[in-house]
Amino acid sequence: MHQVEMMVNGQVRRAEVPAETTLLSVLRETWGLTGSKLGCDVGDCGACTVLVDGLSVNACLLLAVQVDGQEVLTIEGMGGFDYLHPIQAAFERLSSIQCGFCAPGIVISAKALIDKNPHPTEQEIREALAGNLCRCTGYTKIIEGIAEACRAPAITDGISVTESGHV
Amino acid sequence: MSEKPTKEKTADLGDLLAEPRVGQLPAVTRGPIPVVQALTVGANQQTPAVGQRVTRLDIRTHVTGSTRYIDDLAFPGMLHVKILRSTQAHARILSIDTTAARAMPGVVATLTGDEIPENSFGSSYQDQPVLAVDRVRHQGDGLVAIAAETEQQASDALAAVKVTYEPLPALFDPLEAIRPDAPKIHRDNNVYASKVIIRGDVEKGFAESDQIFERRYRTQMIEHVPMEPFAAIALWEPDGQLHVYSSNGRITLGRADLARTLQMPMNRIRVTATFIGGNFGGKNEIRTEPILALLAKKTRQPVKATFNREDEFIASTTRHPIIMDYKTGVADDGHLIARSVRLVLDGGAYASWSETTVGKAAILAAGPYRIPNVHVEGHAVYTNKTVTGAMRGFGAPQVAFAYESQMDEIANTLGMDPLAIRLLNGFSEGSISHTGQVLQAVALEETLLTAAKRSGWMEEGT
Ligand code: FES
Ligand code: FES
Repeated sequence: MHQVEMMVNGQVRRAEVPAETTLLSVLRETWGLTGSKLGCDVGDCGACTVLVDGLSVNACLLLAVQVDGQEVLTIEGMGGFDYLHPIQAAFERLSSIQCGFCAPGIVISAKALIDKNPHPTEQEIREALAGNLCRCTGYTKIIEGIAEACRAPAITDGISVTESGHV
Repeated sequence: MSEKPTKEKTADLGDLLAEPRVGQLPAVTRGPIPVVQALTVGANQQTPAVGQRVTRLDIRTHVTGSTRYIDDLAFPGMLHVKILRSTQAHARILSIDTTAARAMPGVVATLTGDEIPENSFGSSYQDQPVLAVDRVRHQGDGLVAIAAETEQQASDALAAVKVTYEPLPALFDPLEAIRPDAPKIHRDNNVYASKVIIRGDVEKGFAESDQIFERRYRTQMIEHVPMEPFAAIALWEPDGQLHVYSSNGRITLGRADLARTLQMPMNRIRVTATFIGGNFGGKNEIRTEPILALLAKKTRQPVKATFNREDEFIASTTRHPIIMDYKTGVADDGHLIARSVRLVLDGGAYASWSETTVGKAAILAAGPYRIPNVHVEGHAVYTNKTVTGAMRGFGAPQVAFAYESQMDEIANTLGMDPLAIRLLNGFSEGSISHTGQVLQAVALEETLLTAAKRSGWMEEGT
């Protein structure tokens, strides 16, 4: 068993896990952060995408011990039911998402992009989503949603979180 | 940092993202959901819902990652189940030995097909075993289910199961499988569902035609690949009621199948549908539910089975590959006079939704065209391949590929514009379909012209 400790969504989390435990399984099973999804377990689909020290990674491919001491952002750290990130708000306005299973990974990948490049071209958006599969939508409205989010004042002002009213 | 929002959760957020927030940020609200007028409209009228932008009711939980899919559910003491699958496409099972597997770390129970009260299921015919007992008919057939404390332990224990087989000749080509001397996969005929549609006299039509076009078209097997793999959970309520959670899209049928396989009254079974992370037809029947119910009973603990991506590919269903022989007779002016079609659907190892698929493929096979003489026959055939079943369109996309390809070939040969030949022959208001239905609200011409216009088809030089 191995001790791991990481900062997840701003909160210190600790666990004792067997060596083969992936970051995804410690997030989902040990800490109950089930927002990140298991789609393929082999790095193909991007449903498990999280940020580790600001870089988007497939949590199914990293072992928990590899992330020891690092900072992790999951979808649970991106906004809640009445507090949406502009990417989430744009996805909602455009109904960019259908079944929703890919959404957590796509929102995280989009955030990784916008944090580095707040004014991406459509091609840059497509490239940022290269590691995320969506089987329902055909991507069009996801790409439009990210482009629209980049026009939100919060993003153009370099701010990454938007406050919303109650639903 | 500006004033923190009042909600606990939002306060966390501000801290954790540790990013500057300045001034008053734009409010994001859900906004009113557009009112959709009542959908009772007269014949041939468009419903007022078309063209309106409507916010999905479930999207906010989707984009915040808080939608609870089945794999996000867990119950105290829940065990994990993995299923050993056949390594053979077609074989007699000589023996299954689970002794060593039962002694593996974490293993709580195993289950084989002979423990299932009625070991068969299927949407049209009940020809599929829940777990194979004496024979496997494709590589995805399940043989043994193992419940263990962790998923890893259940997977490890699969390797300790010993199975001996006697291989049987396997069929991978449906054209071979329909030959009278082919080995039989179930009973005495590998053709298990057929549909024939006849209109006019196709031979006479060919005789009257100026030109005949003949070609074979084939499509491939396609897996739905929903982003969410199939999963189910079973537990027994204190009052003896079985409670199954499932990502099955047809829980009412699932409940009936559970009652049948478990030989239990349906009113003692409760099935809860969970949010589905993509279905596309691949989650339309039971997969592991009876196994889980029995393992939950044996162990007195909740049990869960989540397919991995490999299970999803080999042990769910796929889209039928179809071998499609088309013959069309036309007049020199482009009018279609006769069309005969033979469809051979690769039905895979079990029937699943093939009966529905062969029906729909046959009904649509001649295309949306006025053809006085039509003969269509479709056959679903057993092979030792992955089971084919429901998938978006139930056979319609396959035949559309064939008849539209042939329309293009005819247009090319006759020197006609591909659009013109479709406008010349396409169904219009009041046309009679190949199965005798008088068609209403036909917008084929309008649709084709709009598509042609928007795509620039009619512009010079395109
Ligand atoms: S689950 Fe990690 S990439 Fe698919
Ligand atoms: S919305 Fe279903 S996979 Fe993307």
